[in-house]
Amino acid sequence: MFRYYLKLGLLSIRRNPILSTLMVAAIATGIGACMTIVNIDYVMSGNPIPHRSDVLYHVQVDSWDPHEAAEEPDLPPVQVTYRDGTALLAAKKARRQVLSYRSSRVIQPEEAGQLPFEVSSRSTSADFFSMFDIPFLFGSGWDVDSDESLEYVVVINKEINERLFAGVNSVGRSIVMNGDHYRITGVLDMWDPTPKFYDVNNQSFGDAEEAYFPFSVSIANELSSDGNTNCWKPVDEGGFDAFLYSECIWMQFWVELHGADEKQDYMDFLNAYVETQKALGRFPRPMNNRLSNVMEWMDSQDVVADDVQVLLGLAVLFLVVCLLNTIGLLLAKIMRRSGDIALRRALGASRRAVFSQYIVEAGIIGFGGGVLGIAMTWLGLQGIKGLYGDFDFVTKLVTMDWLMIFAAIGLALISALGAAVYPTWRACGIQPASQLNTL
Amino acid sequence: MDIGPIWRALLRNKSSFLLIALQIAATMALMVNAIAIIQERSRLMARPSGIDEENIFYIDSSSFDKDLEYQAMVAEDLDLIRAFPGIVNAMLTNSFPLRDGGWSQALQTEPGEGIDGTGTAIYFADEHGIETFGVDLIAGRNFATTEIVWADPEGAPDWPESAIVTRAMAAEMYPDITPEQAVGKVAYIEQDQPVTIIGIVDRMQAPWKSWAGVERSMLVPMKRGQSFARYVIRAKPGYRDEVMPQLERLLAERDTGRIIDSPGTITEARRMAYLEDSAMIKLLVFIVSLLTAITSLGIVGLASFSVAKRTKQIGTRRALGATRPSILRHFQLENFLISSIGVVSGAILAVALNMWMVQTFDLTPIAWYIIPVSMLVLWMVGQLAVYGPARRASLVSPAIATRSV
Amino acid sequence: MLSMQNVSMVYRTETVETHALRDFSLEVGEGEFVSVTGPSGSGKTTFLNIAGLLEEFSSGTYKLDGKDTSSLGDTERSRLRNEKIGFIFQSFNLIPELDIFDNVDVPLRYRGFNAAERKERIERVIDMVGLGSRMKHLPSQLSGGQQQRVAIARALAGEPRFLLADEPTGNLDSEMAESVMQLLEEINAKGTTIIMVTHEPKLAGRAKRNIFVRDGRLSSVEPQLQVAVGG
Ligand SMILES: Nc1ncnc2c1ncn2[C@@H]1O[C@H](COP(=O)(O)OP(=O)(O)OP(=O)(O)O)[C@@H](O)[C@H]1O
Ligand SMILES: [Mg+2]
Repeated sequence: MFRYYLKLGLLSIRRNPILSTLMVAAIATGIGACMTIVNIDYVMSGNPIPHRSDVLYHVQVDSWDPHEAAEEPDLPPVQVTYRDGTALLAAKKARRQVLSYRSSRVIQPEEAGQLPFEVSSRSTSADFFSMFDIPFLFGSGWDVDSDESLEYVVVINKEINERLFAGVNSVGRSIVMNGDHYRITGVLDMWDPTPKFYDVNNQSFGDAEEAYFPFSVSIANELSSDGNTNCWKPVDEGGFDAFLYSECIWMQFWVELHGADEKQDYMDFLNAYVETQKALGRFPRPMNNRLSNVMEWMDSQDVVADDVQVLLGLAVLFLVVCLLNTIGLLLAKIMRRSGDIALRRALGASRRAVFSQYIVEAGIIGFGGGVLGIAMTWLGLQGIKGLYGDFDFVTKLVTMDWLMIFAAIGLALISALGAAVYPTWRACGIQPASQLNTL
Repeated sequence: MDIGPIWRALLRNKSSFLLIALQIAATMALMVNAIAIIQERSRLMARPSGIDEENIFYIDSSSFDKDLEYQAMVAEDLDLIRAFPGIVNAMLTNSFPLRDGGWSQALQTEPGEGIDGTGTAIYFADEHGIETFGVDLIAGRNFATTEIVWADPEGAPDWPESAIVTRAMAAEMYPDITPEQAVGKVAYIEQDQPVTIIGIVDRMQAPWKSWAGVERSMLVPMKRGQSFARYVIRAKPGYRDEVMPQLERLLAERDTGRIIDSPGTITEARRMAYLEDSAMIKLLVFIVSLLTAITSLGIVGLASFSVAKRTKQIGTRRALGATRPSILRHFQLENFLISSIGVVSGAILAVALNMWMVQTFDLTPIAWYIIPVSMLVLWMVGQLAVYGPARRASLVSPAIATRSV
Repeated sequence: MLSMQNVSMVYRTETVETHALRDFSLEVGEGEFVSVTGPSGSGKTTFLNIAGLLEEFSSGTYKLDGKDTSSLGDTERSRLRNEKIGFIFQSFNLIPELDIFDNVDVPLRYRGFNAAERKERIERVIDMVGLGSRMKHLPSQLSGGQQQRVAIARALAGEPRFLLADEPTGNLDSEMAESVMQLLEEINAKGTTIIMVTHEPKLAGRAKRNIFVRDGRLSSVEPQLQVAVGG
């Protein structure tokens, strides 16, 4: 029977080629528009480090202005001061802790003929690599001792290794940055968390840095941050040291904690720390410390651009219009054949048979729309890439993974059947006798 | 003319016409909100930065030489640049409008802690600043060469004693007096360091285009830096693209202990600053056009069906004396009624959606006139879409009445 | 007065030319009741369509009330149809989504009467065909005979001078047919000219004048006999 309905369906579709094309195109554009934006939203709100996102916590302590909260409504600052960052790091109260900031350096290749070039870099404490589970191609990070003894060590990424050493294992060799020699301890494999969760305040979808070295070395070299620096209180005179001692926030501090107990213990520790600072006359605001795991942090920082959410709302509405369009056309088509249906019913077709016949026909249209819709999604993503192409990170947002492809197929099927159900149900409602009277 | 019977006939065929009406309503809701966003973004994009955007470019220099004589390097660089043919003027600064990165500070009218200040962008400048940026000094005077100071490159700078602020900054700080009267006023930076306002420029945006106080900025007679230097350079009209690469080469060849970043123009900075907005506008225009096309094709399709289904009744009407124009009018009137239900419910839906978006995304509410304009547009779209099928209907021969079964 | 002189009608399709009427000449006077009979495909409906200004013909002249119709544009023809001619169809041709009242209203709307006048006329003719209690019914809620009576009411509402009926009883049983026939006779008695195509010799016989069409021509042969032969 199914083959018979399939035949009838295809026949009827071929009888109205323009209209059938219109219906397929409507579903396809609707799904294309919707899935393009859903895909971008999905990538933006994706979990950059799924296997560890529950044990990594971003730390905030409220060291801000007594007269004004750092962020409305009454939120602590999003970064930490050098004083607090180094104090919390030295306390070692979590399993692991990372204090870091973004900066840039100039690499001066020693080989003749190669020009110096600038790299984005991260000055960080040693746990960065193990805590964020970063893959290494060669070697490894450095140990905590190197932090404390100001060792000039560096980890470079794969691309820099290609550029300087043609991709061979360069561990143990040295490079010159801003006039100083650094020993390479490791080369990173491809690593590109999206969003760049460990520093969302400085380009949340930017690339991971190209070179990493101990933050203590950078501080010793008075290397300031490339990222945002905010101060609520005047900085005293006295150069870089005064800046380090100031209430300016410019570093990111993360800890690794397993389970609620560890989290509670760490919170208690933070509160106790703030009490000691209050005793010194700092932290004029009420106690307001935060520990947010990766996804909580992404949420609170509105990593997904507002534009994407507005577009998502509009795209859903767009799909609704496309579906209404298809429902209307299918209904008109079926109603126009109500004489035909009544006749079939009079000739002994059951309600079920009529239902099957039309749901198969609508299903073919929906399926066509869905398949085309996936192609449209791809086109839509290319279009987005064209529009926003000058933002380098956009290529990360316009890649479709399998989950999204299946989601597109699923949405297509649901939409198609959704569009088919009402007209088919109306077709079933046509009485065998109804048409005989009015013709 | 014959609204009554058409309306009653529509009511007997509720489902199909409600579907079109709903479709028009949803289209309208989307259209209105998209237009509101487009208007908002276009308004933002149309704001002038106040500087001579077409002719200004910048060159960044990062030195890595540990024995660098920074101040001497800057002085020599600037002498070279200013002497270069096709250049109006140049100076060392920290940022420029549309760069989306810079220095901000608060100015207060009274010294002391806990007093509300007015946030402003800070541009480091010298006596060449006004000419280099190409801003209009509307009151007071320019910096004198003797006022320019070199600031501590690491810690907090010791702020100079004078400053030039924008008209918007002056108005925000001293709402009760004219900008001219603000000249000579003493404001306080870092809570208690006095700064005398010596001049007012008409307009010069802060580097952050999304900041609420974007029109507030301040030029201070100060130079600062130890390895990184940003030169803002204003070329004579028409010379920018020619001299930009020449200057880049000149600076790069002069000193090998540094990296000269490829220079950029303000035009490009504007494009990048508003890339999201212009992309959003393009996307929305595309979505709205596509949607309108789909909706009108849907109307064409449904009207064609309805004409085909009603061929015999059209023939009968013709046989009973309907003229061709009256058949055309019949279908257009029918579409008008359906569209009316669509646009009226669409207006309600649009306002509801807008209220939600205003609440969730801090958008500005729609201007009231967008609603009647969109209604009109959709009415017209409906009439245009139905015209083809309606014309076909009007060509149905009255003989159909006796011929068809 | 309705007068046709040598009217010919040729239907052209890609493959064949059909001469539906050839040199057809006929005069129908004021107040006549003419029946038209003839074999299937002989051209009866074609004649009625031309007489009712539903179709344009290929050659000849056709004058309605002394006015030559061949030079008239579509709008003028529509107006004449609306004012002077009432139609009754074999398959009733009621508009399914309009109720009885609105169906009868259709020609009056095109006539441009005001609301009060329309209402008065509609109620009068619907009462006349005996369906006064069914004003708000849809066509699908009526029997065939009732539907045809509505169609007659619709044809009469504008008080046309000519009533053209193409097998008005073709879809009805003999009892229904009889009541429709009586209605037509009453209308004719009030002065309306009626031209009725029918296959029923009995009904044709009740007309005051019978004409017979064969192969698109008026046939001189005795109608009663021919009907028996053509069967
Ligand atoms: N639109 C048309 N195109 C081509 N030929 C047509 C058309 N309409 C009618 N004809 C042909 O013209 C001839 C006359 O048709 P007409 O409908 O007038 O016959 P009729 O006498 O009314 O027959 P019946 O008694 O079966 O209704 C027929 O041969 C018919 O096939
Ligand atoms: Mg006939």
